[in-house]
Order: sequence, then C-alpha cells, then structure tokens
Amino acid sequence: MLRGVALRLLQAIPVVVIFAVLVFTLLHLLPGDPAVAIAGSEAAPEAIERIRQQLGLDRPLLEQLAAWFGRLAHGDFGTSLILNQSVLSAVVERLPVTLSLSFLSLTITVPTGIMLGVLAAYWRNSWLDSLVMVSALVGVSLPSFWLAILSVIFFSVTLGWFPPAGYTPISQGLWPWLSALIQPAVVLALFQIGFLARITRSAMLDVLDQDFIRTARAKGVDEWTTISKHAFRNTLIPVVTVSGIILSLLIGGSVVVEQVFALPGIGRLIVQGILARDYPLVQGTMLIFGFSFVAINILVDIIYMTVDPRVRFG
Amino acid sequence: MSLRTLTLTLSISIVIAGALAGTTSSLAQNKGGQIVYSTVAGPASLDPYMAGSLVELEIVHGIFETLVAMDENYNARPMLASKVETGDEAKTFTFTLRKGVKFSTGQEMTSADVLASFQRYAKVSTNASLLADVEKYETPDPYTFVVHLKSTNAVFVDLLKSSTYPLVVLPADQKDKPAREVEIIGTGPFKLGEWQKDSHLVLLRNDNYVPDETASGPDGFAGNKTVYVDSIRYMFIPEANARLAALQTKKVDAIADLTLDLAKRLDGNAELATLKTFPYCQQYFVLHATNGLTANPLIRQAIREVVNVDDIVAATGILSQRNPSLLYPASPYYAGEMATTFYDQKSPEKAKELLKQAGYNGEKLILQTNSNYPYMRDSILVLSEQLKEAGINADVQVIDWMSNSNNLQRGTGNWNVSTTSFCSPPLLGPQQWKSTIYTFPHIDKDPPMDAAFDSLFKSVDQQARKTAWFDIEKRVLDQSYLIKVTDTGSLRGYNTRVQGLKPYFYMRFWNTWLK
Repeated sequence: MLRGVALRLLQAIPVVVIFAVLVFTLLHLLPGDPAVAIAGSEAAPEAIERIRQQLGLDRPLLEQLAAWFGRLAHGDFGTSLILNQSVLSAVVERLPVTLSLSFLSLTITVPTGIMLGVLAAYWRNSWLDSLVMVSALVGVSLPSFWLAILSVIFFSVTLGWFPPAGYTPISQGLWPWLSALIQPAVVLALFQIGFLARITRSAMLDVLDQDFIRTARAKGVDEWTTISKHAFRNTLIPVVTVSGIILSLLIGGSVVVEQVFALPGIGRLIVQGILARDYPLVQGTMLIFGFSFVAINILVDIIYMTVDPRVRFG
Repeated sequence: MSLRTLTLTLSISIVIAGALAGTTSSLAQNKGGQIVYSTVAGPASLDPYMAGSLVELEIVHGIFETLVAMDENYNARPMLASKVETGDEAKTFTFTLRKGVKFSTGQEMTSADVLASFQRYAKVSTNASLLADVEKYETPDPYTFVVHLKSTNAVFVDLLKSSTYPLVVLPADQKDKPAREVEIIGTGPFKLGEWQKDSHLVLLRNDNYVPDETASGPDGFAGNKTVYVDSIRYMFIPEANARLAALQTKKVDAIADLTLDLAKRLDGNAELATLKTFPYCQQYFVLHATNGLTANPLIRQAIREVVNVDDIVAATGILSQRNPSLLYPASPYYAGEMATTFYDQKSPEKAKELLKQAGYNGEKLILQTNSNYPYMRDSILVLSEQLKEAGINADVQVIDWMSNSNNLQRGTGNWNVSTTSFCSPPLLGPQQWKSTIYTFPHIDKDPPMDAAFDSLFKSVDQQARKTAWFDIEKRVLDQSYLIKVTDTGSLRGYNTRVQGLKPYFYMRFWNTWLK
C-alpha cells in the first residue's frame, strides 16, 4: 500500500507542474493590468508605469515565469501585489474559514445526499422517489449566489435567525461560529446534496437488482440488514468517489458563497485576486488548490482500498 | 404679582426650561460607543502615499492629515498648516505649521516631519510627479516649511489638497520606509486598532489628537474636528443584498454603495434612512481620438449630437443630476452656460449632416463597455441605439471591467467609444483634469489646449486661470474628446441612531455620535 501511495505521489508531480504553467499562462493571457487595479482607474499613465516597475511587471513573461518557479522551488509562493503579504500566509490565515465552511457543508451533504438517494432507490418509482429526484434536480439547477441572496433575505432579515454576513472564529464560541456558517454551509450543500442523491440512487438501484440481494431476502434476512449491510456497502465505491469530488467542489464553490456571506476565506481571496489581476496571489492560491485536489484524490484512492480490498494501486 | 400669577409664571418657566432641556439633551452629542460601517471591500494598504481606492482613502483621512486639505466645497483650506504664503511668482510656498499638533504616539509634529514626508512621497508615491518640479526644501524653524519650485506653478497648493494619494505628514522616522510598509501613525482624529484583512478594521479615537481650535467646526477634511465615538468598525461585505440585510438587521449602522432599487427596501422603516451625496462623480462617453473613425473630429461631433441624456439616465436608473460642465457649480471655475451648447443635443439630423461632411460610409464604430457596472453597459446600449438612428453602424462589445479600464487607460483593444465615471478631477478642479483629459481620449496633439493648460498652471492671476480653464473645457467639449452624460450621486444607508452624518464624497465619522 505504501508503494502505491508513493507511486501516486510521484504521478502527481507532473500534474502539479503542468497545472502551475497553465495557471501562469492563462492568467497572464487575460487582458488587464494589476498596476491599473492598484493605481486606480483614474490614475495617470506615469503612475501606472511606476507601479509596473515597482512590481517587476515590466519584465519579460518568461523571466517572470522562471522567477516564480525559482521561488516555488524554495517553497515561496510569492507576495500578493494587493495585500503586500506572502501568498502562503494569506492563504493560511483564511484557511480555517474555508475549511470550516467546506467540512460543515460536507457533513450536511453526505448523510443527507446518501439518505435521500437510498430512500429514492428503495421506493423507486413512488411519489417519494419523484419528490427526491425533482428536489435534487432543483437543488442542482439553482445558482448558489441567487439562493444565497434569497436565504439572507428570508432567514436573516425576515426571521432574524442567522447573521446576514461575516464570520466569527470558533474561539469566540461554538454557537456564534455555527450561526455564522450554517446558512452559507446549507446553501453550498444544496447543490451537492442533489448531485450525491442522484448518484447514490443510481448506484443503489444497480445493487438492489443484484442476485445476492435477492438471495439475502430469500434467506429471510430482514430488510434493514439487507439494505444497510448488503446493498449500501456495495454502493460505497461510487459514493466515496463522488464524495471526494464533492469536497473539491465545496472548496471551489466557496468562491461564490464566501463572497455573498462576506466570509474572509480563500474563495473571497481568489475573487479579489482575479478582479485586481493579482498574479502572484491567484497563481499561488490556485496552486495550493491544485495540491489539495491531488491530495483529496490520493485520499479517495486510499479509502477505495479500505472499502473494497480488491482495489490495488499500480 | 399675586401668588397665583407667580405660581403660573414659575410653572410655565419650569415647563419651558424642561422642554429646552429635553431639546438640548436630544441634540447633545453623546460620547462613547462604536459605529459599524459596512463597505464593499477593505483597504489593501494603508500607506497614504499609495492609497487610491475609496475605502482606503476614507480610512486614511481619518488617521492622517495634510498641510492643506479639501473644505466642504472641495476647495483648498489649510489644515496642519495655519497659513500658506505664495511668493516669487508662485515658485516659493511657505507653510506655517500649527503649533502643538501631535501624532497618535504623543510626539509633536514639526517641520522636520513635514520635510521627511515630502522626501518619502517623492521616492515612493504613485503620485510622486507632484513633486517633480521641486528645487529644494527649507525648514528655517520647527514650525516653518518652505518649498521652492524650479518653475511657476500657480495651482501648487490646489494640487496639495488632493485627497487621492494624499501627501499627509508622517513622523520623520518613517522617511525610509518602502512603499506600503509604513507604520500607521498620523495626526488625525483616529488611530488604527484591529485590522483583519477581508473581514474588518477598527479605528479608535486618537486621544492625542489636537484639533484646530481656530476653526468654528469641521469643514470638509479640515477645520475643528471632534470625535465622540470610541471607535469605528469597518466591516467588509462585498454583496449589496447582504450589506443591506446587515443594516436591516442592525448588525451595522451604516452601509456604502446602496443602489436606488435596493434602497426601496428601507421605505417605511423609520429607523433607517438614506444619505444622498452630490456632487460625487461624473459620467462621460470617452472617444478615442487616435483610433480609426473617432480620430476624425467630425465623427466625434456627430456622436455628441445624437446623445439623449434623459433616455440614457432612464435606462441606467442611477442616482443622477443633469450638469453640462466638467466641474460643479460650487467651483470658482464653473462654466455651465458655455457647456450647455454641447450637452444633450439629441439631434440625429445634425449628426447625419456631420457624418456626410466626414465622408462616413457605414464603417463599424466600436462601442466597448463592461458587465461589472450595469449603468455603464446600459448607457452604451442606449447610445448604440441612438447612433443607429443617425445611421451609424454601432457595434457593442461587452468585456470585463479590468480589461475595459485597462483599454481606456492604454488605448488598446481597438475601441472608439467607451464610458466611465471620473470622480476626483471634477471635485478637485481644473488642475486635476489635465492628466485625465489627455490620457483617456488618447489625445496626440492639441496645441490650443496645450497652450491653455500652460496658462492655467503659469498664471498667478486667478481671472487668467479661469479664462484658461474656460478655453480648455470648451475645447474638450467642442472636439468631443469627452461627452458629458450626467453627474452621478452616491447613496449610503444608515441607522438614524447615528447622528451628525453629512453628505460628502468620503464618509466621515468625526462630529458624529450615537443617539
């Protein structure tokens, strides 16, 4: 198993390098100039030029790429142009917010999505199945920013249950932390719940038609054991795969939700970076995202082996 | 006087006294408390010499002060200086400093601090060109600072009042601090408290603040400022609905950037109100004077002739006021009557005549705008329809703001017409317009305008400067480098428990208190 993990890590290196080059190239292909963002839209050309020189943006692109890789080799992700702070420290500062949001959202998504999928599959073609599937479709189709705004108007303004925006660290109390995050976490989860419910239903339906389920029922095993022990366990491979993808999507989806709910996380950092064309910030943050996705994939592979001992790397 | 009359008189006196006391009490400026103010984004840096965004400047002007500042009408008024004398044909400027002014650390400000600040500004500021013509500085005593310029600059003091990249006075030991690495120590009424980027920033009352006792009250950024509250908490909420929700749920006391549509949600709520600010910015169509069709002045004038301001304003739905001029009526240089001849012409027929003279043959005219600012996009869409009415083949391109803004400033992107708003130049006056007028329409050469600007900067006589500006404004509008659309206002929302707020370009929290 260790050899397998080492192999996957080695395979990840070229992925990350290609990803880094792509991020750098695409970002620099975008029109727009960070110097204009920093100087302001009314700034004089000489002011903009001065900032370009100060930031080293007047150097050739290849030289900038080489310098970035040189710094990366030393573990330096660069310095944000707008924050004047190291990218790594900017990300680390905001990591607790995004991780809190993503994991809270994941803890809502996975049990709810799986439960709905199992129920829909078990009572296939019933009104419950239709209800779950229609709800899942609606959940998948609604844009999260729109849902977030509606949620703020209803739950914060009308009902006054949750704060409309802002983040409170867990160090200031569990409830303040939870009340600030529950609304964005649910909004973020809704899309993924629909996605997971559909996958679980489909996987469950495949399993429920298998001979071993018929055999279990013929042997007189009770329905609960048949479903939970025999059927559900065999749906876990696709469900675990999708849950891994969902965690990645939740981190990615936080970009919109953090913006609406004013959560000072990595998603908001990226939006700021993109709007200001803060190259080091966006490059560094995307690279850290890239690392996380690769790590999540490797983790999912390891979970495969735990869930299904037949699965081997290599 | 009978006992009954006396009793009645006393009773009435007590009632009146009580009523007056009540009135006084309700108007009294309470001390203490925290005002929470929500803005769209937080500052990237608080180095005043690099500060260009609105929120940075609002915070910076709370912490730091300049020698000369903007008054309530955005004209120049001494602040850290008690007096400014201009001599030697506007080549020498002597600033007499107010005595006893202290930094938030308690250390007294002297001319050595002013000198170090000017030297640092020349080295690191985005706007360092302001001091490019300085020949030398002198500090004959701790309260006198003299600037000698190489050539006459009649508007040097007006340039110093600029609120963008403000030339504030820092302690002398900050002189060699690199850009954006300065310590946040100023002479202003507030000092920096906690700052968590992307989340919030707290300004605390500066107990070492020494107000200008010679002034009767606050006047723009200058005057006699008093801080009643303990602190101001800036909370950064980018989404407009969430910002408004924070105000409605009383999580914040005031919010920036409220749209007219969203403001309707405050209707009927006695505790919440809006603060409309005019003047704020001015919206223009910018015409690229050196690219394709719009390099021809007749084509540019034809475009000006089709503009129907009311239709555009109705489509954008923004807070606006008609004004034909590049300046506001409160400016001594205002030339509204002249500007009217070039404003809101709505004459497609005249445009057709001009197009004919220009030999226009249906070539494509590129209108570039962005999707980030709906009012800009909508203005361009309406203009394109107005142009089509005059027979112009208008092609609209919608890109993102960063690209649009970059193209506007650099002249790239093959555009002919775009739109944007200018805030500082109209507020600050003619001297601030020069760079904008040449940069955005990408004017290559315009000898009459060059001469008029030369006269504006060199004329010691104010009447001569007014004449020069009149010529400049007429030239800009006549040549249709810029086509004025409208003055745009700013709308902020606030809880009426915050008292003393006054409309101004920047939100100010001195002389405000909590009910």
